[in-house]
Amino acid sequence: MADHEKLVVMVTHGPEDPELATIPFAMAGAAVASDVDVVMGFQGEGCELVKKGVAETIHADEFAPLGELLETIKEMGGQLLVCSPCIKKRHLTEDDLVDGAEIVAAGRFVAEVTDATNSLVY
Amino acid sequence: MTETLTELTAAKVVDARGAACPGPLLEAKKAMGGVAVGEVLELWSSDSQTKNDVQAWAAKVGHEFLGVETAEGYDRVLVRRGK
Repeated sequence: MADHEKLVVMVTHGPEDPELATIPFAMAGAAVASDVDVVMGFQGEGCELVKKGVAETIHADEFAPLGELLETIKEMGGQLLVCSPCIKKRHLTEDDLVDGAEIVAAGRFVAEVTDATNSLVY
Repeated sequence: MTETLTELTAAKVVDARGAACPGPLLEAKKAMGGVAVGEVLELWSSDSQTKNDVQAWAAKVGHEFLGVETAEGYDRVLVRRGK
């Protein structure tokens, strides 16, 4: 058992589904509040959520606003990893992403997931 | 038990009424940083699940869940900082 618990939360839904876009942020938020290390991984349409200016536009009914959750997760040390080929496919660069987002490839995701206490995929 | 809770003096009161999941929990986490070990945080929430969520959270992170007082339209959730 590692010194710290770590949760990896993979996000594959984007603004087209506000609820499924928000739930992983709600889970990640609860995890950082519980002193669990959090890594959020963004793939496919999930990458749209970490484009600058997008998170602030999403507020699913009965959930905290996604933009606020994102800021809190970052403040509490959560990491944001974004799929490299997904970014290229969308003609984006790191400059298009929110501060703190890191572009990574599949090997890093595998390393994070296999090192984690548990992982969730949305 | 109710009298004991009523008589407790919180070192800090956080008003998270109107906040949706997981907002009240995040407010509790942020506020607890400003409460000394052994002191009590009082969290106000209009989300009926917050008391259960905070109880689970407190057990996980090492705080003492003291209980809930029901107010008009919201709960006053009391937690003693454990570490």
